[in-house]
Amino acid sequence: MAQPSLADERTSFIRFAQSHKFVTLFGILVPLAVFAVFVGYPIVFTAYLSFFDWNGMAPEKTFVGLQNYRYLLFSDKYFYTALLNNVKWVGVTLSFPVLLGLIIAYGLRSRIIPLPALIRTVIFFPVTMSLISVGLMFLLILNPLFGAFDAILQSIGLGSLVMEWFGDYRIALYTLAVVSGWAFTGMPMILYFAGLGDVPKETFDAARIEGAGHFRMLTQVAVPQLRPVTAVVVMLTLFESLRAFDLVAVMTKGAPFGSTNVLGYLVYLESFWNSRFGYGATLSVAILVISILMATFVMKKLMKGAFDV
Amino acid sequence: MSDVAFLMRQGSVAAGKLIGLMLLAALVFVWLGPIILVVITSIKSNDAFLAGPFALPTEPTFAPYVTVWNALGFGRLLANSFLYATAGSALAVILALVPSFALSRFDVPGKKLVFGVILTGLMLPLQTVLIPLYDTLRALNLLDTRIGLIIVHAAYGMPAQILILRGFMTTIPREIEKAAFLEGATDFQVFWKVILPLSVPGITVGFTLNFIAIWKEFVFGLVLLNSEANFPVTVGMLKLNSDRYMAVFNLPAAGLVISQIPIVILFLLSYRKLSSGNFAGAVKG
Repeated sequence: MAQPSLADERTSFIRFAQSHKFVTLFGILVPLAVFAVFVGYPIVFTAYLSFFDWNGMAPEKTFVGLQNYRYLLFSDKYFYTALLNNVKWVGVTLSFPVLLGLIIAYGLRSRIIPLPALIRTVIFFPVTMSLISVGLMFLLILNPLFGAFDAILQSIGLGSLVMEWFGDYRIALYTLAVVSGWAFTGMPMILYFAGLGDVPKETFDAARIEGAGHFRMLTQVAVPQLRPVTAVVVMLTLFESLRAFDLVAVMTKGAPFGSTNVLGYLVYLESFWNSRFGYGATLSVAILVISILMATFVMKKLMKGAFDV
Repeated sequence: MSDVAFLMRQGSVAAGKLIGLMLLAALVFVWLGPIILVVITSIKSNDAFLAGPFALPTEPTFAPYVTVWNALGFGRLLANSFLYATAGSALAVILALVPSFALSRFDVPGKKLVFGVILTGLMLPLQTVLIPLYDTLRALNLLDTRIGLIIVHAAYGMPAQILILRGFMTTIPREIEKAAFLEGATDFQVFWKVILPLSVPGITVGFTLNFIAIWKEFVFGLVLLNSEANFPVTVGMLKLNSDRYMAVFNLPAAGLVISQIPIVILFLLSYRKLSSGNFAGAVKG
């Protein structure tokens, strides 16, 4: 069948609009207008601003062409540190909370772990906490003098592992990512728990009769069945990681030596602290491009069928 | 095959139970431990904390709560957050209702466009729009106003609400509305008299999730507000990490307990609905 042309689409829309005025107005045009004002226009304005030098207050913006982009790519050492930090953050989040969430969900569904309702509540609870609270909480727990974490390490004979969790530029970022993972684990766990509930019981029973242990059951039966859930989880994770901001703001403010800057925090610093709104916009465009690349990748590789409409 | 699986298949129920209990204990320790420690810290004097950071309080005191409440003006912070979360979520849900109805019931031309729009709104890293939002709100004289922040929250809450409500409305059986349409009911009548009343559980879940999301939100409040009188809890609490309180541990602990109490209440009221993963149905369609 031939692809419907734009003109066909327009006539079918007009026909629909005439017979469904209420639905068209409040169901399509209003949300599209809200989108245009709060998402569409800001994106366009950001892209436009990225070619200017502007301090945020002056009525005049100075056109500087590609200068901001040249600076971003060739001179801004913070940009690459922040970009790499976002990548590390994604890596930590995909391995620790997502994998752990899956395993816990499987443990609960297969009744290896008792009291599933309690565990679900306890692990999901931090998802409802603001990352500011989570950050303050772990500033207390990881405190070098009075923190519980170091004390626990020492009491079980692992005192040699104690580190300056926030002060050491080599590990501060991982500390943040793991803390954010602690708060995030409930999300993949709940989604996987629900997903496992939808897998027909017979599938697992058949595998059990064939002698599959829990490891094979998880990797060869559960994971393939959970593919649509995984798609959603991976996407949530990628975008949560790219948004990483709150924890940086409350726990390290990018210190030590900018080693915990992430792209989102850099935008904030450049725009609202250094008053370089033009350059902040350029960084925003970089984030946007990365998000689009990631979204395209996820859609192509993982999303098959997850968002069927 | 792993030893664990072998043991369990041999019917070694005891070993299985033991492993289960150990896992249970580990998970509870890792996820509940930090919260318990914070609660304990919040009811100690700072001297007691310094003397024994992990000891149970011998003389429990609510002084840290009183101090931090007055120092940060928690009454105002909580009232602000409550206003933003309630009004923002309500507006987001209202904006999302008819689109969800449209997408769950009609073969709308341009459906793909609307879905693309929803996904973009959901995934957009907020930092990329901070500058234009700041600029736009300033142009409208809404910068540093409560109403401005509420509008922004509503606009960015709407996409998730459409996904959740559409998912819910898709599960409502069509028989009733078919009968209504046959008797000549308009779209609006079907929406108002059939779909809306039946959607209340979905609306409750959507509103609750949005409420929590706004309560947790930090970036918009930080950038779009300047005066302390308008700050939500998250932005106000940033002060607890300033140098002034660094040597003091019970005040941040008390502050974060206070900030979380409304969510705990909400959580206790609705966690069955939330933790059952019902909202996962929204994305699975």
